[in-house]
Amino acid sequence: MEILGFLLHGFAVALEPQNLLLALIGCAVGTLIGALPGLGPVNGVALLIPLAFNFGLSPTAALILLVSVYYGTMYGGRISSIVLNIPGDEPAMMTTLDGYPMALKGRGGEALGLSAVASFVGATVATIGLTLFAPLLVGFAIRFGPAEYFALFMLAFATIGGVTSGSFTKSLLAACLGLLLGTVGLDPASGVSRYTFGWYELYDGIDFIAALVGLFAISECLLFLEDRHQTTGASRELGSAIPGMRRAGACKATIARGSLIGFIAGVLPGAGASLGSFLSYTLEKRWLGRQGDFGNGDPRGVAAPEAGNNAAAGGALIPMLSLGIPGSGTTAILLALLLSMNITPGPLLFDQQPDMVWGLVAALFIGNVMLLVLNVPLVGLFARVLRAPSWLLMPVVILVAFVGVYSLNNSPFDLYVMLAFGVLGYGLRKLHMPAVPVVLGLLLGGEMEFNLRRALAISGGDWSILVGSGISVGIYAFAATLMVAGLVYAWWIRRTPEAG
Amino acid sequence: MTVDVPSPASHASALGDRLAGAVLLLLAIAAWWHARTFVTGFHQAVGPDVFPRLVCVPLGLLALYLLVRPGINERWPGRAALLRQAGLLVLLGGYAAFLEPWGFLPATLVGSVLLMRLFDAAWRQALVSGASLTVILYLLFEFALGIPLPDIPGLGL
Repeated sequence: MEILGFLLHGFAVALEPQNLLLALIGCAVGTLIGALPGLGPVNGVALLIPLAFNFGLSPTAALILLVSVYYGTMYGGRISSIVLNIPGDEPAMMTTLDGYPMALKGRGGEALGLSAVASFVGATVATIGLTLFAPLLVGFAIRFGPAEYFALFMLAFATIGGVTSGSFTKSLLAACLGLLLGTVGLDPASGVSRYTFGWYELYDGIDFIAALVGLFAISECLLFLEDRHQTTGASRELGSAIPGMRRAGACKATIARGSLIGFIAGVLPGAGASLGSFLSYTLEKRWLGRQGDFGNGDPRGVAAPEAGNNAAAGGALIPMLSLGIPGSGTTAILLALLLSMNITPGPLLFDQQPDMVWGLVAALFIGNVMLLVLNVPLVGLFARVLRAPSWLLMPVVILVAFVGVYSLNNSPFDLYVMLAFGVLGYGLRKLHMPAVPVVLGLLLGGEMEFNLRRALAISGGDWSILVGSGISVGIYAFAATLMVAGLVYAWWIRRTPEAG
Repeated sequence: MTVDVPSPASHASALGDRLAGAVLLLLAIAAWWHARTFVTGFHQAVGPDVFPRLVCVPLGLLALYLLVRPGINERWPGRAALLRQAGLLVLLGGYAAFLEPWGFLPATLVGSVLLMRLFDAAWRQALVSGASLTVILYLLFEFALGIPLPDIPGLGL
């Protein structure tokens, strides 16, 4: 009941006209960004962070804007999957398998309508889960000391990316690289400058946001210049979305299963939306067996992954908000935003800034309804934007990124940092090394070091404090379990053809 | 253990990973070595050099593993693509360098037109769209968001 009271209060925050307007803008822009091939949720949120700063928004308002963008991109990703057979973002990959065949049969509108409802249900289930479980986790985490937090960071790094990327070594390498880059700058505890080589611009450390935009958006453009894929979509009629929304009733079991699986995948550290949609699709396919016509435009093949990826997107917010440990790339970026605004997510956030947390949760509920409503009339418009020529799209993206990053500190230095990280991000992609652990390392390294130092200051330099409590041992055991699960999953993915 | 059959693709792939492994290994060693300069005047249970060094150990070991047992890479681009990519970096680096001395409007105009050309726009398309984009961004940041962008020297624009 206590939660309900908080939530009602949250709705009061989220329903303020400014926040409502921001949620609307966020949903529309997010859907658009998600729909554009190549600009996934990570890019979308990363690109908009500098803008959110520049609006001079309060942290609550900025977070509402960006989380609406986040949910919006998840909705939008399916549009280009269905219309163009190009996933708008990575989690939307599975939607191409049945969504595009449906569009080829002239049932594109139906697929879009159905997937909108599936997305809505998935996201709503996850938001309810967030409302119920985040406070539980907070109640547990409030007892954590520095040693337990250190263990939690180890858990995050040991598991992130490992599950989805396939190569465990490379994910860990990327995380170590990020952690090392995170130590650049003045050491906050002693004032010693580390790896700055006399560049005073680096004293504050590498700017997260410049690094992020470089790693994701600039590397995307570099990649784009390489293969010049053309966006010639199915120009056939989409048809109305309404029958698809009705059809959702027939798929309710599928949507329910997809939402549940996606939610669990989202909450687990290191998994995220891609895993959510992949698991929902493949498990649904196995569940139905021969009853399904998967791969040839089975509507359930659209409903399952869409419910799964949106549920995972919501689930991933739980560890981010309640522990300060992001469960996916995009939540890592939301975390970056919070940290840059001097807000540290974690159990204390729920105590100290309940307005913000519950306002955000309420905004998610509202945003979800907005997205469903927006999606029905605007789907045609979004589909048309997809046909904008790349010579226009890419330069616009690059310039918005440039001006946004420049205006953070009015410093050309940040632009060079962004370009350098763009090259790094491109290299990582070519090497099949995930970029998200780099971001996480850069982001969480400082906090991780701080907790390590505090733990050892408490113990007087005795390193055994790190495994001194049942909780931290439990966390290490959980990390080990997830690593084993990751290996099993990697083995399973090799046996499942649609993963490649 | 299987012995790699030197097909062109797998050969190229192994090279990228080995190169990355070597670079990261060197980085780990250099960062470890450089950490000796992080000295404080007072005693701390964990000094400023401990954490970076702790990170260098797995970094170095994993890099070594990658060097010895490389995995899968994407195909590397051909010469024409590499040229375009280098062009993008030079163009953007130049834009960053000229933004303040020239002011936002001229730098962005030149930058956006060239950028669109790089992405295969015709001259006319690039000029028209580049000019519009420049003006829109200028109005958006300067007036709607109230963020001052670098002025053209002497003009106050």
